[in-house]
Amino acid sequence: MEKMDEVQEQKEKKYTKGGWNLLVLGIIAIVIATATTGVSLMIYHNSGDIYLDRSRPGFLPDEEEIEEEEVKEEEYNFSKTGKMSAEVVNEYLKNLEEEVKAIDDYEKPFEKEALSDEHLGIPIESESSAEEEE
Amino acid sequence: MKRILVVMAVFMVGLLILPVSVRADEKQAAISDNCGTIKENLKKVQKQDARTRVYLGGYYEKILSKFMIPLNVRLVENNLANAKLTENQNNFADAKILFMNDYVDYQQGLEELVMMDCKNESESFYKKLMKVREEREVVNRDVATMRKIISEHMKLVKELKGKL
Repeated sequence: MEKMDEVQEQKEKKYTKGGWNLLVLGIIAIVIATATTGVSLMIYHNSGDIYLDRSRPGFLPDEEEIEEEEVKEEEYNFSKTGKMSAEVVNEYLKNLEEEVKAIDDYEKPFEKEALSDEHLGIPIESESSAEEEE
Repeated sequence: MKRILVVMAVFMVGLLILPVSVRADEKQAAISDNCGTIKENLKKVQKQDARTRVYLGGYYEKILSKFMIPLNVRLVENNLANAKLTENQNNFADAKILFMNDYVDYQQGLEELVMMDCKNESESFYKKLMKVREEREVVNRDVATMRKIISEHMKLVKELKGKL
């Protein structure tokens, strides 16, 4: 009976010691993982990459905004090798103009009106009140 | 007489300053009252700007890597290297980097602005807004510069075509 108690006690001690070590190890692992994740997020934010990352939400259109895309022809690729001729340059210019048109068609990129008082909803002083003050 | 003149001068200066300070207070009160709406609109601008950057950035990268660079390489291969075209390509690459850097600065400022408490700190909020407007203007100028370089590139290529 005493022997059984001793064995039981030893088993409990081993379990407790091993379990304790596992718990400490788990906590340390979580702390390290949290710290490294925090540091990398900080670097990601401070370096400015967060503003250039195309995979962020908001950079891609929402579901309701997706329109069916037309089937595009094979994309033009100007080869780095080959002869140069007026025809080659003509085709180059024609394709380049299409790209430039896409840029020009984009409505007023970064125009100042977007941050104007009116656009942001900051009430603008009315002209009549301005005249009164004069 | 002198005293009267001094008093009148101080009074006149006060009359000039008072409307300005009253106007500034009104603006701050307006910002404080409409804080929620202003922040929502700022977030919309943030989202739209992100899409604009992706859209334009994609085309700039395409023009540089699939048009300008291959053209200059092919010209060298054909012993037709053009110094102006090469210089233009370098200018475009530099302008693209500048655009990205200025965009990041602008977006950082905009994010700080969105995080500010415009209800209780309307004065600092408006000052920050003025600064962010300037930063946006810089990005706008960068876009104009890049467009100008692209036009220059097309002009040089048309001149090249005439010589072939």
